[in-house]
Amino acid sequence: MAKKFELNEIEVWDGNMAAAQALRQADVDIVAAYPITPSTPIVQNYSKFLADGYVDGEFIMVESEHSAMSGCVAASAAGVRAATATSSQGFALMVEVLYQASGMRLPIVLTVVNRALAAPLNVNGDHSDMYLGRDAGWINLCSYNPQEAYDLTLMAFRIGEDLRVRLPVMVHQDGFLCSHTAQNVRPLQDEEAREFVGEFKAVNSMLDVSDPVTHGVQTEEDWHFEHKARQHHDMMSSFDVIREVFGEFKERTGREYDLVYTYKMDDADVAIVALGTTVESARVAADQMREKGVKAGVVSFRVLRPFPFNEIVDALGDVKAIAAMDRSAPGGTFGMLFNELGAALMAKGKRPILLNYIYGLGGRDTTINMLREVYEQLNECAQAGEAKYPLQQFIGLRGPKLSFY
Amino acid sequence: MVKKIKNLKEFSLSNDRFEGANLMCPGCSHNIIVREVLNATNDPVIVATATGCLEVCTAVYPKTSWDVSWIHIGFENAAVAAATVSAAYEVMKRKGKLPPATQKMVDEGREPKIVAFAGDGGTYDIGFQSLSGAFERGHNFMYVCLDNEVYANTGGQRSSSTPIGASTTTSPAGSVSYGEKMQKKSMVEIMADHGAPYVAQVSPSKWKDLVKKVQKGFEVYGPVYINAQSACTTEWKHAPEDTIEVSDLGVESCVWPLYEIINERDEHGIIYSTKLNITYRPKKKIPVEEYLAAQPRFRHLFKPENRHIIDLWQKAVDARWEYLQRREEAGV
Amino acid sequence: MAKDMKHIDIEEIQKLGWDELIPGAALFSFREPVEDVVEVPMEERPYAPTNSHEWQVGDWRVEKPVYNRDLCIDCQFCWVFCPDMSILSRDKKMIGVIYEHCKGCGICVEVCPTNPKSLLMFPEHMDNDEALKRWPQKEEKKKD
Ligand SMILES: Cc1ncc(C[n+]2csc(CCOP(=O)(O)OP(=O)(O)O)c2C)c(N)n1
Ligand code: SF4
Ligand code: SF4
Ligand code: SF4
Ligand SMILES: [Mg+2]
Repeated sequence: MAKKFELNEIEVWDGNMAAAQALRQADVDIVAAYPITPSTPIVQNYSKFLADGYVDGEFIMVESEHSAMSGCVAASAAGVRAATATSSQGFALMVEVLYQASGMRLPIVLTVVNRALAAPLNVNGDHSDMYLGRDAGWINLCSYNPQEAYDLTLMAFRIGEDLRVRLPVMVHQDGFLCSHTAQNVRPLQDEEAREFVGEFKAVNSMLDVSDPVTHGVQTEEDWHFEHKARQHHDMMSSFDVIREVFGEFKERTGREYDLVYTYKMDDADVAIVALGTTVESARVAADQMREKGVKAGVVSFRVLRPFPFNEIVDALGDVKAIAAMDRSAPGGTFGMLFNELGAALMAKGKRPILLNYIYGLGGRDTTINMLREVYEQLNECAQAGEAKYPLQQFIGLRGPKLSFY
Repeated sequence: MVKKIKNLKEFSLSNDRFEGANLMCPGCSHNIIVREVLNATNDPVIVATATGCLEVCTAVYPKTSWDVSWIHIGFENAAVAAATVSAAYEVMKRKGKLPPATQKMVDEGREPKIVAFAGDGGTYDIGFQSLSGAFERGHNFMYVCLDNEVYANTGGQRSSSTPIGASTTTSPAGSVSYGEKMQKKSMVEIMADHGAPYVAQVSPSKWKDLVKKVQKGFEVYGPVYINAQSACTTEWKHAPEDTIEVSDLGVESCVWPLYEIINERDEHGIIYSTKLNITYRPKKKIPVEEYLAAQPRFRHLFKPENRHIIDLWQKAVDARWEYLQRREEAGV
Repeated sequence: MAKDMKHIDIEEIQKLGWDELIPGAALFSFREPVEDVVEVPMEERPYAPTNSHEWQVGDWRVEKPVYNRDLCIDCQFCWVFCPDMSILSRDKKMIGVIYEHCKGCGICVEVCPTNPKSLLMFPEHMDNDEALKRWPQKEEKKKD
């Protein structure tokens, strides 16, 4: 049995400590992991908890992220709770196995501390890794601060392991801005967290030698489509479970989570849609704009996959101008948020002005002033009733202005 | 618990846990090896398999050929898969949370044996990192390489196990090429140098030697590596009925020497002794040429312009056999 | 709802729609738990329909091995080297060939040590009784 970790009502934790504490309280049986900035402290903290007797599990420091995720897949198929953490290049190396984990329907939890992808090599935050894995069949939860990183990591186990879901779950937090920024966090006490997460429910465990099971089969054109359809269906149906878990968490903690996060959207004319810590900066910018009489709001995805189609359109449907702010190099098209929001709005007959801003790559600072400038542009567009600016702009960039369309 | 197998008749009392109507080629050695390994124990077995012939032919939806729990994740991760299943088993055992049927076995002294099967591609090449890591970490499992010296499943490309002179689809023999240019990598020594307690080379044709080694491997705690010769009728291009004959030629010519390396550690984990034992000595070492002649993948070597490769082969095999004997004599 | 793939038949399995599949494409070996599988011979195992044991590959063959009990010395070479678990042995005795699973590789014939052999390949369509009638005589050992 693990020792109880005495926690204060309010702890000062950075996002990495918050995630590590959630993994500890979830009684993860196997953590197979490999270090990479900025997520390294999660596994370091976890191994320290283990060394001090605060967890009763196994930490396997493997030789690569590919093996880290492979180890989690094997452990989960063996019928035990498995989790890991990574960032950036490590995430990229895991990608093959991310698809195997979701296809095999194993409820692994992966805490991703978002960081740019090389080349050029860069250790700082952007969302390239998140975007790389968004179609890997994992549930994607997004946090904006350490408290949320903690809360969502605990909830990730509940959601993924629910028998109606059985899918792996990623919890994202921004590299450095969240992972290394100490803030007040109100944790659950160990017993309460354990009770909330519950015992791991093994499904088709390989360790039951009386009921042999085959995991990771070959399917060809006669079966693959049906399995992928089933997987997609179950992902699309997981909204109910996600809402249930969010609801129960609110009852316990008073902290409320929704599929889509909104700030001052009731009467908003202009809105920024962004992910990660930018949400918090955008809130400040929105407040300042409101002081100037601009009805500004902020929208974000709490759940990026499954894609909350109805909720995102409900949140944005009456807005006149929207900034889809993508913090990932778009690689020859618009940013993911622009494309996905555009499709969702159009499909529901909404035609707000939609602009794409590429920002903050490789950890480039995103100031409140920059976000205010985005609102100013949106406001101009809203008043004119047409896009007064190029559809895609790079902001915060040195050199001549870069924009398209 | 060690299964008593005095002779072949006794071995034939085994009830297979690997099933027919799988999709492996007629005459495939992989199957023979898997049978011999699984039948070497009566303890429960849990298997991880790398992508490759064995995987794509024994778990094709909606049917499985395994009567033991089995997992395939990818091509390069069979070692970490088996190693982590082993770790998961140990955690659950420690926590007293094993499924009841498994706990019962453990109480009877019949702990599950965790075995990884992978091809030479999945072992010598793409899976090497995961294998090396799992061995260095010392997990308790057995890794069996089904060494057919080629990427068979994808149509016969060379691997770092392909021997010199073999014609493969990516090292084809041609008017200006005798085929594969590199000598085969020595996996057995490489794995022994990881400090694994037990490492051995086997051939399915010498079933008793194989079974004994697998049993020894199951008895030690820690990672065990078994390099199994696996004649491939499709890529070595011999007739299916000749699988055992070709395997025997490999053993009798010392192309495929049968030996084991035992690393013994003291209570601090320090290796105090490394011993290499040759476990089979051909009565009369036959010329390598006979082994090569039995396999059309080497047919072009018999052209006058390529004969020097056959001489080179013989030299290399002799040198290696010498080396093994010297190590055995020296007790290192 | 996922169908209970342990308890439906092979024809039904082949028609399953996406909604009836077991998440993660897991397959089962047996219909019900088998406490100690090594103690249970294949005739007595509760194979699930998803176990390849329940399927056939006999139609891969052009030639089949025919077994001649009269010559057999029960050495079990054929049993140990058959790649496809298709030699049925019980109580240290060779009993016969499992034709549903035999792929006709001919290994069993090659390794059979008796003279004449106790296993021989015959055309697939030939009756086994007919094959036994055509069994060759003892072959003189060639001197070299
Ligand atoms: C990451 C990755 N790269 C390549 C492949 C393609 N691939 C599948 S099996 C295989 C060859 C397997 O060769 P080997 O490991 O020797 O096994 P064999 O089929 O010979 O038994 C290859 C190249 C793959 N499945 N995954
Ligand atoms: S190609 Fe070779 S290894 Fe693969 S199934 Fe056929 S005989 Fe076996
Ligand atoms: S190999 Fe021949 S003699 Fe030996 S058991 Fe089989 S049939 Fe009988
Ligand atoms: S022909 Fe091959 S598959 Fe058939 S019984 Fe003989 S060895 Fe087995
Ligand atoms: Mg191979």
